Amino acid sequence: MLPLPVLDPQPRRSRLSRREFFARSALCGSTLWLLWSLPRPLALKAARQSAERLVFSEAEWKLVEAISGRIIPTDEDPGAVEAGCVNFIDKALAYEEADLRRLYQAALRAIDGLAEARFGQPFVDQPTERQDEILLALESGDVPGWSSDRASPSEFFQIICAHTIIGFLADPSYGGNRDYAGWKLIGYPGPRHEFGGYTPKQMIGEEKIQTVWGTEID
Amino acid sequence: MARREDFDVCVIGTGAGGGVIADQLTAAGFRVVALQRGPHLRTGDFVDDDELKVIWRDELFSPDQLETWRPDESSPTETGQFNMTGHCVGGTMLHWSAWSWRFRPDEFRVLSEEGPVEGASLADWPIDYEEMEPYYERAEWDFGVSGDAGANPFGAPRRRGYPNPPHPDRSAGLQFKAGARKLGYHPFPTPIAANSQPHGGRPGCLYGGTCGGYGCPIGAKGTTFAVSLPKAQRTGLLDLRPNSLAFEIKIGRGGRARSVHYIDQSTREEQEVRARHVFVCGNAVGTPHLLLMSKSDSFPDGLANSSGLVGRNLMLHVFTAASFVFDKGSRVFTGLGSHAAIDDLHASDPSRGFIRGGVVGSDNFVVKQPILHALWRGSSYPGSDRDWGAGFKDYLRTFSRTASVLSVGEDLPMEANRVDPDPDVTDEWGLPVPRMTHRQHPNDVAMSSWHADRLLEIGDATGAVERWIALRVTDEEPRKGSSHLHGTCRMGDDPSRSVVDRWCRSHDIPNLWVADASVFPTSGGYNPTLTILANAYRVADYFVSEAKKGAL
Ligand SMILES: Cc1cc2nc3c(=O)[nH]c(=O)nc-3n(C[C@H](O)[C@H](O)[C@H](O)COP(=O)(O)OP(=O)(O)OC[C@H]3O[C@@H](n4cnc5c(N)ncnc54)[C@H](O)[C@@H]3O)c2cc1C
Repeated sequence: MLPLPVLDPQPRRSRLSRREFFARSALCGSTLWLLWSLPRPLALKAARQSAERLVFSEAEWKLVEAISGRIIPTDEDPGAVEAGCVNFIDKALAYEEADLRRLYQAALRAIDGLAEARFGQPFVDQPTERQDEILLALESGDVPGWSSDRASPSEFFQIICAHTIIGFLADPSYGGNRDYAGWKLIGYPGPRHEFGGYTPKQMIGEEKIQTVWGTEID
Repeated sequence: MARREDFDVCVIGTGAGGGVIADQLTAAGFRVVALQRGPHLRTGDFVDDDELKVIWRDELFSPDQLETWRPDESSPTETGQFNMTGHCVGGTMLHWSAWSWRFRPDEFRVLSEEGPVEGASLADWPIDYEEMEPYYERAEWDFGVSGDAGANPFGAPRRRGYPNPPHPDRSAGLQFKAGARKLGYHPFPTPIAANSQPHGGRPGCLYGGTCGGYGCPIGAKGTTFAVSLPKAQRTGLLDLRPNSLAFEIKIGRGGRARSVHYIDQSTREEQEVRARHVFVCGNAVGTPHLLLMSKSDSFPDGLANSSGLVGRNLMLHVFTAASFVFDKGSRVFTGLGSHAAIDDLHASDPSRGFIRGGVVGSDNFVVKQPILHALWRGSSYPGSDRDWGAGFKDYLRTFSRTASVLSVGEDLPMEANRVDPDPDVTDEWGLPVPRMTHRQHPNDVAMSSWHADRLLEIGDATGAVERWIALRVTDEEPRKGSSHLHGTCRMGDDPSRSVVDRWCRSHDIPNLWVADASVFPTSGGYNPTLTILANAYRVADYFVSEAKKGAL
């Protein structure tokens, strides 16, 4: 068999710059704008294997955990901290999102730098109002000493926001949504095929629904 | 070339159009080879699917798709993945939502109904509803459409009812119906090609909530993957070749298509397959892309292109959607994509400031899943202060009380809207990616704006405590792609004004056929697929009867 004469395999497609796809922030007819910042199956395996730190240092882990806790705060219900979103992100960065590791590391340094400069203490030691103030600065792109050319501060904020939210709501086997915290909050019972789907009465709210974690919702 | 077998027919693409052709021609005794880019998934692959893998990463359906878009020829292109296409056996239909409509009679003669419209290339179809009617019936019965015949007072006339009764209601659908009735509309159960009871050797739907965007784990959803291709394989006459990416149709002596060259994606080797007839069914992007890549000295502008119209008149539909939050559970995470619809906004009424119209389906235009709910609220969601933090968490809490409505509007064809191979961007196979040049017609924008107002009124009438526009077409929010692709090889009687004839056979190349939505002269105000299926049955019938006469 002849190898392809004219059709030399090319390197994997060039990725859209993050700027480009976040600029298209609505789906624009495609559900795929986040395609490039999501964990692949290896991360799934890793998450199953361990909830240990694979990428973040202890300090980075705490910082990401604290940031995620402001994105989905804890109130009378669990938030991103209890759901283990930082574990989801750690596993993503360990594998398929390995190329985002440097961005995370640089961004986390800059965030702590900003916290020190403004308030004389690292981010995690600040009260939540000040943490929010720092995140608002990040969101609006106002971070002195930002060193990453991979993404702007506001783009990084969108990435960590999306990662946190996905970690909160994706299937727990990816390492987040611990104890189904995300699904419990929103009233989603989990995938139902293996339970035989829903009855017509459940579809009109006349019968309770069994969740995959064994409780019932109205 | 290692393999060079001869077949009666080569079908490229196994979605709605290609799947039916493969089935019908093998049933008539022809030896068919079907080339399909991407894998052959199995029903069992869908059981453990989750939202992250399937909806967000599109891991199963089209991981290697790349394309470009620009609004017009003088603008630079953006590179990305803009259309939702399933590159796998069964095509995009494998993860469709199965809303299944017959076009109304007027949708086959838009030019006659409306007269010429500035900036648009309106056309009548060379066929009419009467000719399509029996084929719609066949498609409905083969694919198991569930519905209530006659319940839509604005629908096309029919001789026979649906094979399956309507699906049960869901809370949000009941709310939608009540609200729609208050406004004087006529709600009815959305006809869906998923079994509401066992039918055609396939089970009834379990209403697990993961329909559109997902492969059906039990085969209750009507797809060519579950219906046509297994049937064709049982004849022993179908050679189904997944991971086979066609890149050129070669023309032989006498100006007839001779063979198809493709990349075996598993070995990265080039292969050639010969066939006496070629059916291109790669959808309205893939089909013109392949025809235009097939250039040669005798066809410097690509195949079947003497009219210059291959790739032109790309239509994407006008999607307008509103999201609602109720004060009680809507159960939209159960059931199907849509359980109820109205067709009162469909008939063309120029006094609204635009022509044509479309159907409105409730109550969940995208499958209701947690991440989608969280990340995709649409551009005019009120309260950007709710992007994160306590307000965002409160938004998350609305998940089980939300619903949405979607209108599917007919967009007007424009010759400048087109698909061609991008001279500057190649994919991982070294092929030029499909380039879309597309801009909305002012009629599309006016339609979307009027529909948006109607959808918000429906929200009010259903008692929604919050409602906002999630999707619309404006000049600032252009469509760059779609899940509904039509029009790039239009059919017609005049070879200078169309690419294929009324039998979807190329005017230029007598053994080259197109049997997907590329052939649609206009897009209709309904989801397209039942019409693609019906048309493919019609074309197959013609092919078989001509072949029997020895006329091919
Ligand atoms: C999420 C979603 C929901 C939808 N819901 C509905 C709905 O409710 N109702 C409705 O009517 N429609 C719906 N649609 C649209 C429907 O899926 C399409 O209209 C239909 O599948 C188009 O059929 P087709 O045969 O034209 O092309 P496709 O189904 O796209 O099949 C074409 C196939 O050809 C292959 N191909 C292309 N080029 C080549 C090549 N060069 N070599 C080899 N293979 C090639 C492609 O990989 C593709 O698999 C939906 C679509 C999506 C994405």
